[in-house]
Amino acid sequence: MVNIIGVIREHWTNVLVPLGFVIGWYWDKKNDEKLTAFRNKSLLFKRDLKPGEEFTWK
Amino acid sequence: MLKILFPSIMLIPVTWFSPNKWLWTLLTMYSLMISFWSLMWFFSPLNNPMFINKYLYTDQLSTPLLILTCWLTPLMIIASQNHMINMPINQQRLYILTFIMLQLSLILAFSAMELTLFYIMFESTLIPTLIIITRWGNQTERLNAGIYFLFYTLMGSLPLLIALLTLQAESGSLMMTSMPFMTQIYPTQTNQIWWVACFIAFLVKLPLYGFHLWLPKAHVEAPVAGSMILAAILLKLGGYGIMRISIMMTPFTKDLVFPFLVISLWGIIMTSSICLRQADLKSLIAYSSVSHMALVIAAIIIQTPWGFTGATILMIAHGLSSSMLFCLANTNYERTHSRTMLLARGMQTILPLMATWWLLANLMNMALPPSPNLMGELTIITTLFNWSNITIILTGLGVIITALYSLYIFLTTQQGKMPEHLTAIYPTFTREHLLMNLHIIPMCLLICKPSLIWGMFT
Repeated sequence: MVNIIGVIREHWTNVLVPLGFVIGWYWDKKNDEKLTAFRNKSLLFKRDLKPGEEFTWK
Repeated sequence: MLKILFPSIMLIPVTWFSPNKWLWTLLTMYSLMISFWSLMWFFSPLNNPMFINKYLYTDQLSTPLLILTCWLTPLMIIASQNHMINMPINQQRLYILTFIMLQLSLILAFSAMELTLFYIMFESTLIPTLIIITRWGNQTERLNAGIYFLFYTLMGSLPLLIALLTLQAESGSLMMTSMPFMTQIYPTQTNQIWWVACFIAFLVKLPLYGFHLWLPKAHVEAPVAGSMILAAILLKLGGYGIMRISIMMTPFTKDLVFPFLVISLWGIIMTSSICLRQADLKSLIAYSSVSHMALVIAAIIIQTPWGFTGATILMIAHGLSSSMLFCLANTNYERTHSRTMLLARGMQTILPLMATWWLLANLMNMALPPSPNLMGELTIITTLFNWSNITIILTGLGVIITALYSLYIFLTTQQGKMPEHLTAIYPTFTREHLLMNLHIIPMCLLICKPSLIWGMFT
């Protein structure tokens, strides 16, 4: 039988870097949305979004 | 941007908490993974700054340098395994941690959107590098090398701090993205001092001939990973800085440009001639870096699109080829325990495959077609020729001497009769061949699509 606790104790560090990528991806996405929202409100770039269109940067 | 930064930060706990037997494997794997993720920065369909947040962005100029930074970290880890194998495990962790701190500060430096952040990160790269040189160097002279390295760079960059703070106070912004729209600074007497203050930090870092004494010392005393990162990335911080800051300082005045141009052109000849009489392998490669960087300085100072393009190409190509040469020098050093070239002759008969890597690295370094080094050098030489025809004498002579010393390295280390004290050399490792391949493959791929490293004027 696989000793799950043993495996976790030995290899838990393997989670960290992929976790960092996910966190980074999430914050990048949030930031893109924030900047796009700002752009959509600016006088220079604002336009009505098409039906069903969420962001202009896609 | 954060997609790379967060995993790189996560490498710190991985370094501390991973099991002893997995330490090097895990770190190599994860840093290699990060460097593959970083290739997404090449995706830039609009030729605009990409991956923006409020503080960080990348564009065509910084992207190749950022990817090179991420690529070099796993290579440094692979290269230092043999060097660190007998150290206590905590020291091994600390050593890798220093690389990661260096990678983090370099990523922040190359992607900073504000000049102040760039300056802070430019300076903060000094600390891990100093630690690598003075803690893990092999001889007592490393302390002297550390002092040279620190004080040359710090003394050069203090005027830059003052210049930047003044500019911040006067213009209210140091954002790189808005710099082209700022008022140009006209060349009055005071502004000339300001110009020099802005440039001297980067010229010392590159280094310009005359400010270069710290570099051979640092290279000779640093362990292999220190030499690799120093030659491949840290020198390029200077070129990157000049290209960024010169946007707001055009047009350059003749009074200021000519002395630096003349010194850099003269530096090409002088430093490559110095290479011809070096007995120390690492010192030779270091001086060859200075000579190549002199070309970069001249091209950037001319300030034409071709100049900038050539400088960017040469910076990346030289980053890979000089790093490979330092790795090769280290494989010799680990076997003969000496950096003196004459003590390691005829290596081709003992390590034939390694001789192939030596040949390839030297050919790349002397800019054999169709290597990216040739594209860089040719563009730069054309730029200089266009500026003044006479420069072809200096640059042409420089190219010839470069070919001479590259062949001199190859012939001295690989050919000839093997000395008798070298009979008990252990064979090469797969790890070493992998390391050389990881340098060669990107160079070969860049031959196929050089526009990736053309910089701002792609």
